[in-house]
Amino acid sequence: MKRYDMIIVGAGPAGLSAAIEAAKRGMKVVVYDENAKPGGQLFKQIHKFFGSKEHKAKIRGFHIGEELLAEANSLGVEVVLNAIVIGLFPEKEVTVKIDDHVEHVKGDTVLIATGASENMVTFPGWTLPGVIGAGAAQTMMNLHGTLPGKRVLMLGSGNVGLVVSFQLMQAGCEVVALADAAPRVGGYGVHAAKVARCGVPFYLSHTIVKADGDEYVTGVTIGEVDKNWQVIPGTEKHFDVDTICLAVGLSPMSKLADMAGCAMEDNPAKAGFVPTVDKYGETSISGIYAAGDVSGIEEASSAMIEGRIAGIAAAAKLGFISEEECEAEVAKQETALDGLRQGMFAPGMRGKMITETEEGVEISQNLLKKGFVADEEIERFPGVTHNTGVHPVIECTQNIPCNPCQDACPKHCIKIGSNITALPAIDPEQKCTGCGMCVASCSGQAIFLVNEDCGDGTAEITLPYEFLPLPEKGAKGTALSRSGEAVCEAEVVNVRSAKAFDHTHLLTMKVPKEYAMKARFFKEAAKS
Amino acid sequence: MNSDVLIIGSGIIGCAAAYNLAKKGVKVTVIEASSNIGNGGSVRNGGGVRQSGRDPRELPLVMYAIKNIWPNLSEMLDTNVEYHQQGNLRLGSTERHKQILDGLTERAVKCGLDVRMIDGKEAREINPYLSDAVTCASWCPTDGHANPLTATMGYYKMARRLGAHFISDEKIVELRKHKGAVRQAVAASGNVYEADRIILAAGFESRAIANTVGIDVPMQPVLLETLVTEAVPPMFWQMLGTADADFYGHQTDHGSFVFGLNSGLEPYAKPGKPVSSSIAASAACRGIMHYFPSLEGIKVVRTWAGWMDSCADHVPVISKVDECPGLILACGFTGHGFGISPAVGLVLSQLACDEETAVDLSALRYDRFAAK
Amino acid sequence: MNDRSRDIGEFVPQPDDDMIVCRCEEITKGEIRRAVHDGMFTLTEIRRYLRTGMGLCQGQTCTKLVKAIVSRELGVRPNELEPATGRAPMRPIEMKILAKDKEDA
Repeated sequence: MKRYDMIIVGAGPAGLSAAIEAAKRGMKVVVYDENAKPGGQLFKQIHKFFGSKEHKAKIRGFHIGEELLAEANSLGVEVVLNAIVIGLFPEKEVTVKIDDHVEHVKGDTVLIATGASENMVTFPGWTLPGVIGAGAAQTMMNLHGTLPGKRVLMLGSGNVGLVVSFQLMQAGCEVVALADAAPRVGGYGVHAAKVARCGVPFYLSHTIVKADGDEYVTGVTIGEVDKNWQVIPGTEKHFDVDTICLAVGLSPMSKLADMAGCAMEDNPAKAGFVPTVDKYGETSISGIYAAGDVSGIEEASSAMIEGRIAGIAAAAKLGFISEEECEAEVAKQETALDGLRQGMFAPGMRGKMITETEEGVEISQNLLKKGFVADEEIERFPGVTHNTGVHPVIECTQNIPCNPCQDACPKHCIKIGSNITALPAIDPEQKCTGCGMCVASCSGQAIFLVNEDCGDGTAEITLPYEFLPLPEKGAKGTALSRSGEAVCEAEVVNVRSAKAFDHTHLLTMKVPKEYAMKARFFKEAAKS
Repeated sequence: MNSDVLIIGSGIIGCAAAYNLAKKGVKVTVIEASSNIGNGGSVRNGGGVRQSGRDPRELPLVMYAIKNIWPNLSEMLDTNVEYHQQGNLRLGSTERHKQILDGLTERAVKCGLDVRMIDGKEAREINPYLSDAVTCASWCPTDGHANPLTATMGYYKMARRLGAHFISDEKIVELRKHKGAVRQAVAASGNVYEADRIILAAGFESRAIANTVGIDVPMQPVLLETLVTEAVPPMFWQMLGTADADFYGHQTDHGSFVFGLNSGLEPYAKPGKPVSSSIAASAACRGIMHYFPSLEGIKVVRTWAGWMDSCADHVPVISKVDECPGLILACGFTGHGFGISPAVGLVLSQLACDEETAVDLSALRYDRFAAK
Repeated sequence: MNDRSRDIGEFVPQPDDDMIVCRCEEITKGEIRRAVHDGMFTLTEIRRYLRTGMGLCQGQTCTKLVKAIVSRELGVRPNELEPATGRAPMRPIEMKILAKDKEDA
């Protein structure tokens, strides 16, 4: 029977990263993936990632996938697509369906990196066509180029719900509302803010009462819930929609590990039924590893590191590297992993009520309840300062592990420091040149360049813009506030696109100067 | 805890006995070692309710069940047990197969069973999906099949409704005698259960438990594997088997096909949790497609494995134990206990109540292995 | 030990009992709740009795939903209920493909 040093199930961020580390150390590695394209969820992620420069921050997810795949290929990793692993049997025998047959192969080590599947919630009408997972919507849009619908209600304010809401709008859908039964936005505030400023209303403490429609979804009713999660009569709101997107969490797809006989645990902190693993990702069965979402739901960035650790550990197990080398390499990766697991959204912080930032700044309650920072709240954050001439305004108000803006500014105007979760602050001694690198580098689209007083009663605001069609210089329209409300007329005075901006365009709009700290988005007037 | 009758094992045998006892008003407690009721062969078998191919010693039990219980079981249990009595085809394609089938048929006819040999053409008239490879078959029109899952859970449900007490996650490790009679069952947890009668119906595990009061039933665990397909529109209702016994099965009410497998390696399975082998389902698919080519596009959705308690002479022990008054054995069903289970449940309740049994059990006594 | 005769209260009908929970096998919330009151105290028993999670998706969608319903009915935490065992094949596979297995491609 064909024997590999390592068989990896799943070519997502964890699987490919493990393959790279194992192959780099001389191992014969095969990666099976049931999809036609490798990269797992990475290939659907068209947004820029958070994190540190060393760990792919500000790179769009699908580019990370391409980079991983290219590296794996260059190292001789065999990546087999449309290959469905159907079983993991004793003695690490894997059966895999390829084309019209099933192959039996064995691995001296096996990595289970099968990822996760989407959770569903039930409500009357939840089985109607038109009710789909947010991940499914993303697959349709970003892999298959198909719109899931025209008018969408999103349920779930975690990062998936927020990111997919934004992508739905980018694809041309109208997102009529974003609802969540939780009382506070679950995802990053910056993700929420970019959705809110496009005019999407947030309904926290709201759940779906029912979906309307006989053959398919024609509408949805949501209602406010009390503290026992019961809908309060009279609070129902109806929306005409053709699509209801559910972004209510993920569950580890761990059946392969269970079938293989790995010790399992149902761990709410890991969002479901997972194999128990040690610090190397090794399960209770010697030589079988698990990494990524299958061993606990986290971000793609942590999945990549977990994968790397498993690849390194497998290399040590089979004698491709020494124990000492393994320990040193794993320690490095663990440091990086610890870095990602910091801040307000760290796994250990789940469910905790946070009232102020690490710097002692009071958290914006509007951001948590409505998706945007209110005008009266924004001034207290260290990234928001005033100056003459063009200067950056950084509306980054929560401690998240991300620091590309610090290095983006050639003038070193922006300071985060060694603590990656610190809020970015402005160094008033440094002079902003208005180059816009910081605007394009911010994965949260939270940096603006503002000239509060151009001398003629107007102000200019440069904002990140990722929609099509791209307005042209001279375009007239409306400026929208952080809440997405129309506040004044605006004219586009400059549009900048550059390779270094990586498809984030810099749109500069002119508004009456009293709106300099209010206007944060541009909506072009309908062309007659 | 005290009861009139204690049953060790909540498989379909234990549940059916509990149902019959509870119906009589007997205070009965059922103890299950695993977390799930009916977790052994009862919910892992292929669902055959066959007379053909059976050892003459247990034939009366299945004939009694088919005549008196199976037809009304769904109603009795307020559960659809999906019983179909549309016959059993045991298929062959070679001269050797024909010899095997001829032998089986001859023995069954001697026992008074309506079974006969038919040729390929007649077999295809009964089941038009059969391929031309089929050249001979044995045909028993009064055989059938049912759903082992709902039958087992149905017996449990009704026994429970009638007041039988069920306890799971409690492993009995020892029986104890009191003044000459078996009266106590001790659990690994330390709990002690007392009863006037103790029915031991714990599959292969019965052996170790019986050993604690000096009784042995020669049996060993043998793995059996099964697969189930997706649901498709109804095609046929016969129970199927083959001369080589390489697969057996039927289509269910649900539309899925359930097929038992046989790769020949089952006796050598490793002990512990029963796990499917990597090759058995594939081998079975080849066998199935050879006889039923039109099933080739149906998707297999799940496979599973289970231990059967294979008795030295391939029929069960259903018996009181002379030297251990109070103890009643019901084990060693050797993979064909499902079809007879309604009758076994009945006779066990009769044994426990010192009544005459509906079927003569003398051929199934525990002491048939003793020195002559 | 798990006492199957313990009091879990009466079955109380709920307005959404006719809502489908397992889409593959079209099992409703009410059927699941009734099964619990008929003694099906584990997800495996519910599955064997009602077929929840036995369809084409093998419980990928409904496992957590069924778990939530059963745990609420029994008054236990959802993670106290063990999900059903993972079994091959991980994805439905046609007989003719499964039949064609080999060691070297």
